[in-house]
Amino acid sequence: MTTVVLRWLHRNLFAKPFDTALSLVVIPTLAWAGYAFAHWILVEAHWEVIGGSLKVLMTGIYPADQLWRAWFSVATLCAMFGAGLGLSVRPGRAAMAVVAIVAAVIAGTIAAAVGVSAGLLTTVAIALGVAAWIAVHHSYLDQRIVLSGLLAGVVAIFLVLSPPGFEVWGGLLLSVVLTIAVSILTLPFGILLALGRQSRIASLRVISTAYIETMRSVPLILVVYWIWIIVPLLAPDSSVPSLLRGMAGYALFFAAYVAEYVRSGLQAVPKGQIEAARSLAMSSWTLNVDIVLPQALRVVVPSLVGQILDIFNGATLVFIIGLTDFLRAGQMILADPQNSGRTYEIYVFLFAVYFAIGGAITYASRRLEAHLARGSR
Amino acid sequence: MTTEIAEYHTIPPARRRLLIASRWLVQAAIVIVVAALVIWLGLAVREALARKGIHFSFGYLGNIANFSLSEGLVPSREGSWPVLEPFSPSHSNLQALLAGLWNSLKVALSAIVLCTIFGTLVGIGRLSTNWLVRNLCFGLVEAVRNTPLLIQIVFWYFAVVLRFPPASAASNWFGSLLVSRSGVYLPGLVISESAGFASWALLAIAVASAVACIVLRGPRRRLILLAVTISALIATALIGSPLGLDLPVATRFGARGGFALSPEMTALLLAIVVNSSAYVAEIVRGAIEALPKGQWEASASLGLSRSHTLRDIILPQVFRIVLPSLANRYISLTKDTSLGIAIGFPDLFNVYGTVSNQTGRNLEGVVIVMLTYLALSWIISACVNAVNARVNGRGAR
Repeated sequence: MTTVVLRWLHRNLFAKPFDTALSLVVIPTLAWAGYAFAHWILVEAHWEVIGGSLKVLMTGIYPADQLWRAWFSVATLCAMFGAGLGLSVRPGRAAMAVVAIVAAVIAGTIAAAVGVSAGLLTTVAIALGVAAWIAVHHSYLDQRIVLSGLLAGVVAIFLVLSPPGFEVWGGLLLSVVLTIAVSILTLPFGILLALGRQSRIASLRVISTAYIETMRSVPLILVVYWIWIIVPLLAPDSSVPSLLRGMAGYALFFAAYVAEYVRSGLQAVPKGQIEAARSLAMSSWTLNVDIVLPQALRVVVPSLVGQILDIFNGATLVFIIGLTDFLRAGQMILADPQNSGRTYEIYVFLFAVYFAIGGAITYASRRLEAHLARGSR
Repeated sequence: MTTEIAEYHTIPPARRRLLIASRWLVQAAIVIVVAALVIWLGLAVREALARKGIHFSFGYLGNIANFSLSEGLVPSREGSWPVLEPFSPSHSNLQALLAGLWNSLKVALSAIVLCTIFGTLVGIGRLSTNWLVRNLCFGLVEAVRNTPLLIQIVFWYFAVVLRFPPASAASNWFGSLLVSRSGVYLPGLVISESAGFASWALLAIAVASAVACIVLRGPRRRLILLAVTISALIATALIGSPLGLDLPVATRFGARGGFALSPEMTALLLAIVVNSSAYVAEIVRGAIEALPKGQWEASASLGLSRSHTLRDIILPQVFRIVLPSLANRYISLTKDTSLGIAIGFPDLFNVYGTVSNQTGRNLEGVVIVMLTYLALSWIISACVNAVNARVNGRGAR
């Protein structure tokens, strides 16, 4: 045993003089930083500030007596996530154990921070997600049924959350719902743009290319801000909520990126497929919808999932149009003089949540890539 | 393409003409619809602005700005010489936008240089034989790529830069780098008035031979050029160097002398450099892994060390592969400087917002800002394409 450890150490840390020097610098620094961080987290940090402001962080200024709507959305989101997982990942014992541990930690933390009932509700939501995961994986449902179910879930969340008004949406819930809605909205528009860029009709090609290239060279924040500005100018009588204007801006911007991903997928479809379909005298519409797109989209699914991460990260920019997303909610809490000394607690929490969600999306995209690669060989 | 031609020859001429005509009709219809949409949008916005008493015109650019910016230089004239001077409220709106552009470019260019260097180091680190270094670099890349840039910027500003010691207790590193919450001060260069022509000429020789030493190949030639550089530098130092080092000196409210970075600029630059380095690291790692394994094995069999292989065989080839991806990264980085608005850095987008608020001219402003960003993107890709053509044009494959 000791020889194995020693050999590992020698091979990985002290193989050459340069490696040894690096290790001798890195190990003490890391040990010191790790100790300082752990000491801060366990002893010095005042985590009660998170518990006290969890409601604001998660839902912003959403009215407290309407919170059941938010809880419904959380449960629906968990179920949708589980159902989506069921399409590609097998609910094995190891995965279940990991989910159980993570769920217990999350639910326990929430129960300790804001109350037992919130912890219980979280447990129920996560259990619902796991149930949907197992159900979808074992029911051999058509993918289209699951996808329509996911779409119905998004619509349901919108309908349930909207009665108190779009302007009270906030916190992490706003970031997540915005991300999902924009991801779905960009898809049809992006596909049309990609087809336009590949079209045989020159004018369509030029216009699509111009749109894509323009959107890709200006900052997201400019597009979002400008759509927000011009909608009231174009429709002075109707007051479109900031959230919907912002969503339109995000969708117009990210559609250009989706178009580029889809275009790379279109180029991956073998030429013979198109020639064969043409020789069967298929119309362009049938050719695209039945032959090309299904194959192209299959190739780009991992990139599209990766794009969701970009949208989620970009959702922090809604501060420019006066919305309070997760990051803004954290900054609002810090603006309260009572919490001014809690900068690091709030930021560490924000980072941890962003990292957990971002990491999950990256992991999902990597898993999908491996899954699809296995299927195509 | 071939199928199209084959199709054409099988249909009778009359139908073929009809087909061509219908294609033209479709083309025309699309152009008309899109043009109508764009024109309608422009007219509707213009009309809405006109209702508020604002007419489309770029004349407002010449008006006095009447607001101040925390930093930014504008081109101006001193006698007959063009000079750069700090922006003040008596300058015009156009000069305000130029000051914003100056600030954006300042951050973008420094970040491009720094993130290329650090990104390459981290990318190599991800393939290090040292387990610790490899995983540290991996952790850094993952942490950066999975969290929003905005929270990174806000974190660097509010939780790091604004927590630096106050100016009166600035930490002083090696007597030349001052760090305080009112900014970071680096040593700067000053031109000494007394320096004669000979010392300027010697300095020019030193710079020229240093450049030649980097550009030209051949170990003997390089050694000679290096010797020239060093002796020229020593000679200038002996007869009085024309350029002096200006070390910052701490004062009660900041520092005097040297090269100053505002707290906002420091935070934005730190955030963008760390963020982009992670992406550059992934690009570099991908390129190194894409090279055939035989390259490593061949050079190992020739008895070259790992670092020697990396420096002389792998990196020159990697440089060719990564250029297009780096161009994309540089363009996104330049766009990312617009997030400086979150911490009050007066970049182009921020200044555009202020000017629009003051004058109500959003339509003209957004046209200018969009064209500027488009031009920046084109310039960056043109530069990288030019370099790409040089390194990949001759001799490569």
